[in-house]
Amino acid sequence: MDSLSLFLARFQFGMTAFFHFLYPPLTIGLGTLLVITEGVYIFSKNQEYLRITRFFAKLFAINFVVGVATGIVMEFQFGTNWSQYSSYVGAIFGAPLAIEGLFAFFMESIFVGVMLLGWNRLSAKAHWVSTIFVALGSTLSAVWILVANSWMQSPAGYRIGSNGIPKMTNFWHVVFNPYFPSEFIHVIAAAWEYSAFFMAGVAAWFLIKNNKDAIMRKALKIAVISGVIVACIQIVLGDISAKEVVKYQPTKLAMMEAQWHTQRYAPETLFAIPNNQTQSNGPHIGIPGMLSMLAYMNPAAKVMGFNKSISYINHKYNLKLTAEMFPPVSLVFWSFHIMMYFGFYFALIMLIALYLLIKDKLYDSPKMLKVFWFSTFLPLIAIEFGWFTTEIGRQPFTVYGLLTTVKSVSPNVSALDVGLSTLMFTLIYITLASFAIFLFKRELKERAEGKDELAGESAPAAASNNKEVLP
Amino acid sequence: MNLNILWFILVAVLILGWSVMDGFDYGVGGLLNFIAKNDKEKRYVMNAIGPVWEGNQVWLILGGGAVFAAFPLVYASIFSGFYLAMMLVVWLIIFRAVSFEFRSKVESAGWRKFWDADITVTGLGIALLLGVAIANVLMGIPLNKDHVDYQSLFSLLNIFGLAGGLVSLSMFLMHGSAYLIMKTEGEVQQRARVFAKWFAVAYIVFTLLFLLISPIFAPRLLNNSFGIIGDIVPVIMLIGGIGAILTAGSSSDVKPFAYSIAGILGAVASLAVGVFPDIVPSSINPEYSLNIYNSASNHLTLLVMLIATLIGLPLVLIYAIYAYKKFGLKVKMDESSY
Repeated sequence: MDSLSLFLARFQFGMTAFFHFLYPPLTIGLGTLLVITEGVYIFSKNQEYLRITRFFAKLFAINFVVGVATGIVMEFQFGTNWSQYSSYVGAIFGAPLAIEGLFAFFMESIFVGVMLLGWNRLSAKAHWVSTIFVALGSTLSAVWILVANSWMQSPAGYRIGSNGIPKMTNFWHVVFNPYFPSEFIHVIAAAWEYSAFFMAGVAAWFLIKNNKDAIMRKALKIAVISGVIVACIQIVLGDISAKEVVKYQPTKLAMMEAQWHTQRYAPETLFAIPNNQTQSNGPHIGIPGMLSMLAYMNPAAKVMGFNKSISYINHKYNLKLTAEMFPPVSLVFWSFHIMMYFGFYFALIMLIALYLLIKDKLYDSPKMLKVFWFSTFLPLIAIEFGWFTTEIGRQPFTVYGLLTTVKSVSPNVSALDVGLSTLMFTLIYITLASFAIFLFKRELKERAEGKDELAGESAPAAASNNKEVLP
Repeated sequence: MNLNILWFILVAVLILGWSVMDGFDYGVGGLLNFIAKNDKEKRYVMNAIGPVWEGNQVWLILGGGAVFAAFPLVYASIFSGFYLAMMLVVWLIIFRAVSFEFRSKVESAGWRKFWDADITVTGLGIALLLGVAIANVLMGIPLNKDHVDYQSLFSLLNIFGLAGGLVSLSMFLMHGSAYLIMKTEGEVQQRARVFAKWFAVAYIVFTLLFLLISPIFAPRLLNNSFGIIGDIVPVIMLIGGIGAILTAGSSSDVKPFAYSIAGILGAVASLAVGVFPDIVPSSINPEYSLNIYNSASNHLTLLVMLIATLIGLPLVLIYAIYAYKKFGLKVKMDESSY
């Protein structure tokens, strides 16, 4: 195993995971929003809500297939590129993946066909139930995938067997490992937050063109009401997640906060240029005592510095790690801080929008509408940087305290093979993302040109006449 | 019957589920450009699998996850050992997964032609590569004492591997044609009957060829752990194929598909019988092989996964039956179709 193949394997995993996770949050969150809009239609019999559902279901469909297509490789990549990891933890890590297929992905994928192609085959209520199953399935899917991920962060429910390989001793301890609840809620909230911004951004685009569009006014209203709740709660949920990091991953915390030295009244650093060589921060601004306060609810509490945290886990897990094995602190620091700043931006935007909504000025404020259109995909940046924090911050481990990344990689795959496949994946994923954006735009344009969302994929008014029923 | 044997059977059942349910999607995809003459017919054929292919694809994900959990060493060893071949399959699956939705979104002829070609190539490619991989497993792969395999993509493309590929290719094309007999009417159905018949003939020819050369390349197929009973299992493949030939031209819309399922059942059963109690035989030394014991997870994982499967699989079947019923036996197009 040479360092080039290791680097390429890591790059490939990061890149494919990055591209894959552009899509599932919208599947989860927009799925839930569709349950709400279709539910309002069923109980109010107001056709406008059906139109909202039908239109956003088209965007949902595009996002869904790309999400599935980019996700397939994630499951196989553990075997292809990380065979040592797979044989070491498969007995524990494989279980949630298989259960995800069985209890979540099947539900989601079978009902997505029924939902997208069954508008005319099912009663309104039966169709709504299908939509509920799609949203439920995608959320359950997140449950099991995050069980697997959180187990890598805070492994539990296992014992090292006589062959040196972990054995499952308690399934529920694996599922409810310390990280799981906070990570799950944080990720689901992020998905809902993004979807609220997505719906708001799309609705704003139509309202900029024509602010009398009654359907998009309703869509924006739903997006803002759900968005303001989630965006505010998310800040609290982020704090809860960070408290788990404090408890279980001191090295990650030190890197997230660029905390080089152990100290009482540790500051919450807002801006810094961390330097790994000198183990200090260049220009920096911080709030004294704030990190101690957030981490331990006590401004005088002692927070471990970077080197201290390494010797702490070396002692705890009986390892010999050195500072050079850890990622650059600035990478983790900035990933975390970019996510955090976006989180505050989202809450602020939604609060302003709520104020305008209450004052009945939201639809007549071109500035606010432009801000929403501009912010449509911004939550994705926060989501990706959140994952950078989690995954890069866990290094040099794949399973925290248990298995290092160096010992996880496939020994029998050459740098040429990984490089070739990485190149292909990069090209494929850029192509898919471009197609998705192209098709999103097209759907928006078609609606703006007067195509009716109740008329399905291609309206009878369209140029083609290939809509007759065969045979 | 212990948990390891039970899990061997379960994995075989999942492979069967995948081959039967997703197999006709590959077959229909591979046939698309040949069985449908114009865009109207192509959409008609695509909508035969339109509402269900998403769900069918999950069998693959579930199969992968189940092997990962139950036999982690097999998962690690096969996927890293067949590296570029696996990657090729993954790329084909990616481009197939987006094709139906993408194709239907834009009405330009060039765009649709591109995705038609994509659907055909990916369908045929997956159907072929699956058999190549399985034939190589039957032959044994060069696992060393750490159960690691260092071979190249091209070493998989040997005579026996290609013979296996032809078996699976013809099998899935037969299956896809038989599925279309069931789902379509009129001219397309007439063409599907002809295709089903000839692909069933090809399936029988390639299966016989494969069995004929197997004593040279994969003697374990004949010298299996079940003796004479094991030797007659491949006959199920031939029965399925012959049944499909005889019923393809008949008035029955469902029988060819039923026989085609029997043909697939025979193939998966032959594979299972051929390798048991190994899962991946080593061609270097039988002691290096991965079998149902040395590659398996510990008892608790196998037990938990068994309970999960016993609860989960019936649920999956309920969802699937519901979805298939809602869309009826014959394809009916409407404005929300692809």
